[in-house]
Amino acid sequence: MFKLLKKISGRKKKGKSIQSNNTLDEQKNKRDQSISQNIDDNIDFIKSIYQFPDNRDVKFREFKVGGSNKRVAIIFISSITDVRTIEDSSIRPLLENKEPNLDIKGIISTQNVTIFPNMKDVVSNINTGNAVIFLEDDSNAYVFECANFQGRAVEKAENEVIIKGSKEALTEKVVVNLSLIRKRIKNEALMAESVTISERSQNEIYILYVRNLADDQLVDNIKNRLKNLDVDSIQNLALLEQYIEERRMSLFPSLLYSERPDRAAAFLEDGHVVLLMDNSPDALILPATFWSFFHTPEDHYLRFVFGNFARIIRIVAMFITIFISAIYVAVTSFHSEMIPADLLLAIAGSREKVPFPVFFEIILMEAAFELIREAGLRVPNPMGPTIGIVGALVLGQAAVEANIISPIVIIVVALSGLTSFTISDISLQFALRIIRFLFIAAAGIFGIFGMTALFVMGIFYLVSLKSFGVPFLAPMSPHYVSSGDTIFRRVITNENFRPGYLKPDDLKKKGDGATK
Amino acid sequence: MKHQLKKIKLLLALPFLIILTGCWDQTGLDDQVFVIGIGMDKAEEKGKINITYLIANPEVGSSTQASANNEEAMMTVTIQASDFISMRNNANSVIAREISYDLLRVILVSEELAKEEEFIRYLYTSEKDREIKRNVHLVVTKEKAEEFFKKNSPKFLSRPHKFYENMIGRAIQVGIVPNSELHQFFRITEEDANAFLAIYATSDIEKEKNKYRISENDAVAGNVKIKGETNNSQFLGAAVFLEGKMIGKMTGVENRIVMLLNDTSDVSDILTVVPDPFDEDYQLTVRITKRQNTEVVMDVNSKPPRIHATLPLTIDVLTDPSMSNPVEDKEKIEEVKKSFERFLEEKAMKVVTKTQEEFKVEPFGWSLYARKEFKTLREYMDFDWMKTYPDMKIDVDINLRFGKFGKQPKTPSYEGIRD
Repeated sequence: MFKLLKKISGRKKKGKSIQSNNTLDEQKNKRDQSISQNIDDNIDFIKSIYQFPDNRDVKFREFKVGGSNKRVAIIFISSITDVRTIEDSSIRPLLENKEPNLDIKGIISTQNVTIFPNMKDVVSNINTGNAVIFLEDDSNAYVFECANFQGRAVEKAENEVIIKGSKEALTEKVVVNLSLIRKRIKNEALMAESVTISERSQNEIYILYVRNLADDQLVDNIKNRLKNLDVDSIQNLALLEQYIEERRMSLFPSLLYSERPDRAAAFLEDGHVVLLMDNSPDALILPATFWSFFHTPEDHYLRFVFGNFARIIRIVAMFITIFISAIYVAVTSFHSEMIPADLLLAIAGSREKVPFPVFFEIILMEAAFELIREAGLRVPNPMGPTIGIVGALVLGQAAVEANIISPIVIIVVALSGLTSFTISDISLQFALRIIRFLFIAAAGIFGIFGMTALFVMGIFYLVSLKSFGVPFLAPMSPHYVSSGDTIFRRVITNENFRPGYLKPDDLKKKGDGATK
Repeated sequence: MKHQLKKIKLLLALPFLIILTGCWDQTGLDDQVFVIGIGMDKAEEKGKINITYLIANPEVGSSTQASANNEEAMMTVTIQASDFISMRNNANSVIAREISYDLLRVILVSEELAKEEEFIRYLYTSEKDREIKRNVHLVVTKEKAEEFFKKNSPKFLSRPHKFYENMIGRAIQVGIVPNSELHQFFRITEEDANAFLAIYATSDIEKEKNKYRISENDAVAGNVKIKGETNNSQFLGAAVFLEGKMIGKMTGVENRIVMLLNDTSDVSDILTVVPDPFDEDYQLTVRITKRQNTEVVMDVNSKPPRIHATLPLTIDVLTDPSMSNPVEDKEKIEEVKKSFERFLEEKAMKVVTKTQEEFKVEPFGWSLYARKEFKTLREYMDFDWMKTYPDMKIDVDINLRFGKFGKQPKTPSYEGIRD
């Protein structure tokens, strides 16, 4: 069907292909040269690359070293460097130096000073916030670290709120994020490899895994996928997710996106791989199963009974949000014998003056709810959501009084909307909201029969999904050795296996009890 | 190009395939009226009956949003028709909407029609209709069903489905009427060995002077004098059906005994009175519970065949009006036990004799036990349970055990207070 449509639409679109001036290659070629002996050449070259003085935050400091009387140039981008470090550990020592023989490494007092003979490396170091020193009559450049990118401090998690447990959330600075995770896993086997994935913006990705837990094949697979990306720029993990997932049109997400470092750490310890990136206050956890979207970290922080109670509520809420509107449509228009007599008469009585069929009534209210939700999200004022909900209630009440909607529909839609908020993962939440409409349509056409058919088809689809080679419903179906943490969790001392579907190097966790 | 056009047309037709196969049997709730009860009366013409619909008004008493305060909660329509099914369209000449049997709770039959040979022909059409559920109750009314519907006006439960549901449900629990689901009717009628009991009801209360009965339930509907402003219809006793035709009546107490003996019924709350063995002026109130299934022992080979039924009962004695305090004395207890057993056995035997002599068919479901006694079905058929039953030698034994003697077992003696 889609092929046919493509064919039809494809015929009309036989225009010219888009011309691309490959400015990226030009840029690359330009900086690909070695450093000259003449310091003026070098300075001029950098100035031309950065279009100085149009580029205002690129700084050049030229002076003569006190003892040897040689010319020196320090180059850096002031907005991403710590200027105080540059002053204290390079400019002042160089100026105050009285030795006749100039030894840069001996004068500069930062953690490390690296020597590069090539302009390409010099430029990339300046771009990442380091400072470069050119010396008179020296074909090497000296680079020392003084990067200082601006960003938020560690703040409270806002999207995955929990009551019991750590409140920290990841931030936009990858160094901070790494620190938050290393704080939880103090183990030299925790690897943080980095890969540069884009050509223009040079975005860097950190691949985190525990060396002797994660399956090597899985890690290689992910590394390959990242290395094979051919893009100009990927700003953050949310965009990266869409580049590396397997089914881009699928309703269900296949990578877990979390802002909680404790969650990332817990998955790392199970043998998962975590991706971190600058500018993303989140971690991308993979492979992900359906259960990881359904769970919250609090399920485990709470005691066994309480945690499972929360799970029961959540699974019930999930079914309510998918089915309740559809069931209402199906039962009232096809299977009225299923409703208890009192309710049947109440519905029939309240529908007496409503002009629309049930199906249309439900669609109308569901659409209104989605509108309010979307509008409430985009209102800049923090009052927005509150006004949205109040608006919904007032709107609903008015609609009932005007006999456009029957009051039971308001209950049904409010319930289906409310229960959808119990799923904290935004991707799964969207999926459920869309599925709800599919079920309403199926119920409107075929009644319960249609819903059953759609449900069976949906289960087929779920079972067929895979995330990085892991079946979406594992370890429930297909069955794998695991801690058995699916709909319900076990007592914590009985959860002593890592998920078998990850093929971890060490399947059994230590400590099947509090004592040794 | 032409080829492609064809494909597009096919593509456009695809949604219709789904939609057209789907919605055909959809009916909105607001396009239906709900029949709660159907009444069947004899019509003058042969092959026809008068059918009465009791229709509930969904706008009354169901929700605050539905605001038809001055409308009646229900209405009745009577039309001559040949069966229930064609009636659904006949009635549309006066009723504006599609008639639905989804909420049908009772089928009322006038005694006059129930005693006709023809009756079974009409009732069996209810088996054909998809919407009539098998748990609809069959009620026999003394007067015309049409009249019953009109006269019956419960004071509080003005919504008809609620009234019939609660009235019949509670009466069955208490045991004063039988559980007369249509399903049971068809099963028993087709089994051709037992009698089917239907609920007996009337709004035609007799004016005659109340005669003395040990228990007020020992009467059929219409014979109990109740004063006050309650409903003017009574549900009490049973109509006995043999081969789909009504042949007699049973009182409320007789019905209780049948229900106790019959293992398929579930009577759960029997409060009744038994004569006080220590003072004949008073009666003791007792709660009777069935401990386990009736034990039925049969000897079909002897002439006449014998049945020995043992009914295990637990009895809570709840009153002691003669203040003779039987709890304290073992001998007194024994005496009470003996007198109870004698009284209950007598009562039970009376019912058994009535079924043997008057109805000549048994409502206890004993034919099920009898089947086990025969090696083949043919032997059982040759035995002819229905024919043999009136001549059988039957005795009923009560295996009695005492439960509690009220919240406070001991009462002070009458003389002790009045000294």
